[in-house]
Amino acid sequence: MMSLGSYLIISLILFVIGLVVMLSRKNIVAILLGIELILNAAALNFVAYSRYVTNNLDGHIFSLFIIVVAAAEAAVGLAIVIRFFQIKETIHIDEATQLRN
Amino acid sequence: MFIQLLFASSATLTVGCALGVLATKNLMHSCIFLLGSLMGVAGLFATLGADFVAVTQIMVYMGGVVILMLFAVMLTGGKDFISRAQNLLGLPSSMGNKWTYSVGGLVGLVLLLTNIRLISNVMNSHAPKVIGNEYPSTVSQIGHLLVKDHVLAFEISSVLLLGALVGAAIIARPRKQK
Repeated sequence: MMSLGSYLIISLILFVIGLVVMLSRKNIVAILLGIELILNAAALNFVAYSRYVTNNLDGHIFSLFIIVVAAAEAAVGLAIVIRFFQIKETIHIDEATQLRN
Repeated sequence: MFIQLLFASSATLTVGCALGVLATKNLMHSCIFLLGSLMGVAGLFATLGADFVAVTQIMVYMGGVVILMLFAVMLTGGKDFISRAQNLLGLPSSMGNKWTYSVGGLVGLVLLLTNIRLISNVMNSHAPKVIGNEYPSTVSQIGHLLVKDHVLAFEISSVLLLGALVGAAIIARPRKQK
C-alpha cells in the first residue's frame, strides 16, 4: 500500500483540489487557501522522491524552504487583503480592478 | 502495521479535508478544513521518515499560517457574508458562480487524467526501494546540511522572512481616516 505511486497520487489529488479552489472561488482569502494546498502537494512530492528515489535528505531541505516561503507569502498576502478591505470594504476578487485608490 | 494505519488515516484526512475546503460555503469552516488537511500531510511526512519536516509543518503551518488566516477572515468578514446577493446556484457570491466552477472542474479533470497517465508510468517502472524498517532521526543530518551545503539559501531565507514581515507590518498598519 505504501509505495511511491500512492504518495504521488495523494499529492496529485491535493494539487488538483487546490487548483480548483483557486480557480472557482471569488474570495481572496479562499484563493490563498488554494495556494497553501498546492504548496503542500509540492512539498509532499519532494519528501516522497527523497525517500524512494534519491535516498538522501535534500528533498527535506527543499520542503523546509517551501514552508518558509509559504509563511512569508501568507504574511504579505494577508496584509494586502487587510489593506484592500480597509479601502474597498469587501474582499470580493471582482472589486480588485485598480492599483491605486 | 502502525505505519500502515498511520498512512491510511493520514491519506484519508488529507484528501477528505481538502474536499471540505473545496465544498464548504463558510470561509471559517474552510480554514478549519485546511487545518485538518495540513495535519494529514504532516502525518504523511511522518510515514516517510521525515520527522523534522513533520514537526515543522505542524508548528509553522498549523500554528502560524492557519491562525493568521483565521485572523484575516475575522478581520475582513463583515459585509461579504451578509449583504451580498446570492447567485443562480443559491450560493453566496464569494463562493464563485457556475462558470468559475465549470472552468475549474474542467481544468482539474484534464490535469488529473494527464498526470495519472504520467504517474502510472512511474508506478510501473519504480519498484519502491525498501530502505528497511528503521526510521532514523534526521534532525542532526538536516542541521549539518543547512549550515554546510545549503548555507546560502539558509541566509537568504532569513533576509526574506525579515523583509516579508516588515513589509506586511507596513502594508497593514492602521491609517488615519481622510
